[in-house]
Amino acid sequence: MKRAISVVVLTAAGLIPLWRYEPSSATTTTEVAAPTPAPSSTASSSASSSPSTSAAASQVVQGSTVTTSKGAVQVEVTFEGDRISSVRMLQQPNHPQTTAAVPVLIKETLRAQSADIDTVSGATITSEGYARSLQAALDTKGS
Amino acid sequence: MRRVEHVMGFPVSLRIDDAYADEETADPVFAWLREVDARFSPFLADSEVSRLDRGELRPDEISRDLVEVLGLCEEYRVASRGAFDARLPGRGLDPCAVVKGWSVQRATELLVARGVGRFCLNAGGDVVTYGGPWRVGVRHPEVADELCAVLEITDGAVATSARYERGDHIFDGRTGRPATGLLSVTVVAPSPTEADATATAAFAMGAEGVEWAAAREGCEVFAVDAERRVLRTAGFPVAG
Repeated sequence: MKRAISVVVLTAAGLIPLWRYEPSSATTTTEVAAPTPAPSSTASSSASSSPSTSAAASQVVQGSTVTTSKGAVQVEVTFEGDRISSVRMLQQPNHPQTTAAVPVLIKETLRAQSADIDTVSGATITSEGYARSLQAALDTKGS
Repeated sequence: MRRVEHVMGFPVSLRIDDAYADEETADPVFAWLREVDARFSPFLADSEVSRLDRGELRPDEISRDLVEVLGLCEEYRVASRGAFDARLPGRGLDPCAVVKGWSVQRATELLVARGVGRFCLNAGGDVVTYGGPWRVGVRHPEVADELCAVLEITDGAVATSARYERGDHIFDGRTGRPATGLLSVTVVAPSPTEADATATAAFAMGAEGVEWAAAREGCEVFAVDAERRVLRTAGFPVAG
């Protein structure tokens, strides 16, 4: 039983990146492919498990709830003997996930500058505002 | 050749550098944008969008183009978790933010199909470049005649959302209130549809929209937050 607990904890940790990368709308229950359990594992202190059956053939174990920046995640793992046959998400945030990893953003200071340019991107300008805009000056100047 | 026309309530500037290009080369672009305005403007009572909103069109009477536009609106509403919404409570159907980028993309395809090799199209501040390099300035959010970034782009789209031109016109669909978390956000993407809709949705989301837009595939982001700090992605194509 101790071995099963540690496997579940690792599985929960391993699933978080998987779930982060999920392309679109998350539902409250999702079947995911069973990852290979780590053969030798160290037990985590945060584990709590409740096997629903004690039969040797099939065993369902619920992992502890792991709190992530997106919300709580909890998995349920079904074992066939020593092998994981399926993993189910019992809890996961119910909003859609982005498709990419969290991007690194560079912080800079806002600076005004002028430079030789072909065109200007800006908030949708009105036809009235155009007359005094940089783009109007560029259009008038010609190439 | 260069031409400027006012369509859909904003100026559209087209510059084509191919030697043979003349007014006739540019005609289909402006004819298309005028057609889009007539069909999709929520401000024209007899447009397809207004008629659909009044319940005068059955689902099978909606044009393929409008189906595509409404599909894009839904795609970005879901992706932005409701911050971007063409159907705000108490307001009529307003797909403008998607129609603009989508119609500019079609205009771009018209030029490319005709074999035009180098052009730059600016639709009220949304830019599409082709056959560059092109140097694209990003308007400073507080100083109208200054820039806050200069980009170099070969083929691609740049769109900026802010409220310095039209005031509070972008609403956070989750709260129904005007979006005020950012001063401006600029998105570089392969297509104007993606650049424009992502910039609008990110602006509607506020501060969290910067990271959201940066995580979208193919998007590079330059944002100025309410504290005048710049946040940009590493791949944002700043001119050297």
